[in-house]
Amino acid sequence: MSVPALEATGLSKSFGGVRATSDASFVVPPNSVTALIGPNGAGKTTLFNLITNLYPADAGEVRFFGASLAGCSPRTIARMGLIRTFQSARIFPGMTALENVLAGAHLHVRSHAWQQMLWLPVARREEARLAGKAAALLELAGLAAFRDVAATELPMGAQKLLEVIRGLMAGPRLLLLDEPAAGLNDSETAQLGGLLSAVRDSGTTVMVVEHNMSLVMGIADRVIVLDAGNIVTAGTPAEIRRDPRVIEAYVGRDDDV
Amino acid sequence: MFAVVALGFALVFRVTGVVNLAQGAFCIIGALSMYTLQVEHGWPVLLAALGAIAITVVVALILGRAAFVPAVASLPASSMLMLTVGLLTFIEGLALVIWGSQPYALPPFSGEAPVSVFGVRLPTQGFWIAGVVVLIVAGMWFLLMRTAVGEALRACADNPTAARLMGIDVPRMTLLSFALAALIAALGGIAVAPIFSFQFDTGRFFTIFGFMAVAIGGLGSLVGAVVGGLLLGVAEQLAAGYVSSLFANGIALALLVAVLIVRPSGLFVGRRTRREDVRDEPRIYQAIVRLQGRGARIAGIGGVLFVLVLPWLLPGDGLLSSLIITGILFIAVLGLDILMGYTGQVSLGQAGFMAIGGYTAAILATNYGWPPLAGLVAGLVLSLACAIALSLVTTRLRGHYLALGTLAFGLLVDSLTVGMTDVTGGPSGLVGIPSMSIAGFVFDTPLRVYYLVAVLIIALTVLLFGGVRAGFGRALQAVRTDQMAAGALGIHVAGYKAAAFVCSALLASLAGSLYAFYFHFLSPEMVGTPRSLELIAMLVIGGEGTLVGPLIGVAILTLLPTIFQPLALYKTCAEGALLVLVFRYLPAGIFGSAAHWLMTRFRK
Repeated sequence: MSVPALEATGLSKSFGGVRATSDASFVVPPNSVTALIGPNGAGKTTLFNLITNLYPADAGEVRFFGASLAGCSPRTIARMGLIRTFQSARIFPGMTALENVLAGAHLHVRSHAWQQMLWLPVARREEARLAGKAAALLELAGLAAFRDVAATELPMGAQKLLEVIRGLMAGPRLLLLDEPAAGLNDSETAQLGGLLSAVRDSGTTVMVVEHNMSLVMGIADRVIVLDAGNIVTAGTPAEIRRDPRVIEAYVGRDDDV
Repeated sequence: MFAVVALGFALVFRVTGVVNLAQGAFCIIGALSMYTLQVEHGWPVLLAALGAIAITVVVALILGRAAFVPAVASLPASSMLMLTVGLLTFIEGLALVIWGSQPYALPPFSGEAPVSVFGVRLPTQGFWIAGVVVLIVAGMWFLLMRTAVGEALRACADNPTAARLMGIDVPRMTLLSFALAALIAALGGIAVAPIFSFQFDTGRFFTIFGFMAVAIGGLGSLVGAVVGGLLLGVAEQLAAGYVSSLFANGIALALLVAVLIVRPSGLFVGRRTRREDVRDEPRIYQAIVRLQGRGARIAGIGGVLFVLVLPWLLPGDGLLSSLIITGILFIAVLGLDILMGYTGQVSLGQAGFMAIGGYTAAILATNYGWPPLAGLVAGLVLSLACAIALSLVTTRLRGHYLALGTLAFGLLVDSLTVGMTDVTGGPSGLVGIPSMSIAGFVFDTPLRVYYLVAVLIIALTVLLFGGVRAGFGRALQAVRTDQMAAGALGIHVAGYKAAAFVCSALLASLAGSLYAFYFHFLSPEMVGTPRSLELIAMLVIGGEGTLVGPLIGVAILTLLPTIFQPLALYKTCAEGALLVLVFRYLPAGIFGSAAHWLMTRFRK
């Protein structure tokens, strides 16, 4: 088997006395869409934050294509090719939609600030190339009409899609998406589903936290189920749908009803 | 004394999350009103004190109602900080109009004769001051902990949203805390007035030291405020007593810097640390002003032509001189715009770099016979070194503490320029500075200087536009609006902050050198901390994050007083009022709002 895109072993984190994540181990295969599901408070976002070192894990380790992420700053992690989005769309206000997407290309800007200042051809050509790529991504996400609109004036759903393509603009090897479909209407959700499938087919691995079951079951190759900080099970969408423990975590035990 | 101002700071900060820099101005209103009532109208001490306090509180209520409270609800904390700078300036201007610029002194409350305690002779006023501090601390404690109003105030402090849901009138509590803080300030100002000589702008001094005391103690902690104030006062007295009064500020500043390095959030961490990070909250909303393509090119070429022919359209040389000053200050404001407008970092010490650039160039050229250009470059190098050293400290600081760190830097430079009399000429300034010259060409007529400055500005503007419209500018703006998201995209947050800081320092240094070479004279007050505040006012009035917009702000504040000479008295007052008004009604500045209006019109 090839090296997993992401491999977590024994991740644990407590806040005060509450165990948000305990001994979580899982694998994200490359070139897949892996969904992380679970009821509210199961620790999904905590897990994301542990992976990207927003706070340090109490125990455990994360390997990204074989390389340990221990002690890496968020910036280093981004440079390695792991890009994430946030649960509440964190777009940059004060920039247009296009500029937001362009900001995602930060790691690919090769020209120096002084070259940009002197309006040298090398900087201008690069800028034009990146702008073309960003416009294509906006098109792909159905946001072409918002190109020059202030990002904060976009509808909520469009802002979330914008954040996803901003992440894509960075050309990641693995894209972590935190509830990208929350706040999206049906047509936007369908757009997102198509976008994610296209991303996977272009060779980028996707890991997504999501509540929208029809989206998850539609696009995920693998599903990991989390409950109360523990990984309950993992498998294909079809297996998960049949798993009694998943039904229990989501719907409650039969004798509760 | 510092403890009293610090308490006012801490109170307003606790309730509203805003550092109210106008605090010190209320001390002065109190003290000056006291003078009028007691000395001029012959009221008895107690009655005059009550009257002065009442006047101060009424002023605070009016300003709070008209400007502060509505702004709290709509502006981010960094803008609030600037708004209070506007209030401070406004009140000072008002005081200037009413009381003039001469210093005043009050007689001590209970006679000149010192009392003798255990053989040590102490001035009686010391007891009055100590008594007032104790009274205020006790009163505050009682109010906050033992009354329903206090409970409501504390609720606002802990969670304004929840407090509103519980039926507490948050705007009213905000106003109350603002007025209460003014009352405390007035009490303090009146009590200290007899041992200080005070004038319309002494308020800055109180504000700055109160702010420092609060920072040492920990923002938002009332106990910390008192302790910080006492520490600072003692340190300053000891410094003045044993070293030199010229360096007293420097030693107080060293104390502050030491505390900030060791414990970046003060000695007593307030219970709520959340609000110190307001800068990170991506809630700044601004109209996006971008002229693009042909429109920008036409506007640019038109602007350049206008600048080049302008001197020939002017009636006299006086105006040309104002234009040169406008241009030179605009260079410094350009740097500030990169730092504040694009990167969102507040710097209250910009004039410090002007001083470094100005004095380095002037001293080398005047006393050591260096060519002016070499002196200018030496100033840039020194500023670069200072900026890098300072950014090592400031990138660790956030929000209010960053503003404070830069303020401390500016004050440190102030005290050095005043204190090192042998080198800088001290308070009376450095004279006989030669004109700027490049390779033998001397810029000795105003017209020559004008074209030198104009060409520099055009070049700099083109360069900076190139930078901000591409990847560099996007990275800066990303840092400004959302550091966490910026970091997650691989942007080196600290690196870009430092780059913007260095950039602004270099431009300020350049402006400082040109300033010295143009005036042939440089004194500490030309490049002191008030200048820093003025630069910010210019930036905000013109429009942050627009590069060319601040030119309007600089021009208004520089040219208007020249054109309307008789109104010079009202300059400070108008400057403050303008700053407050722009913040309230045109958050994007004059240029930003105008450009936005034009764009929406033409798009239709």
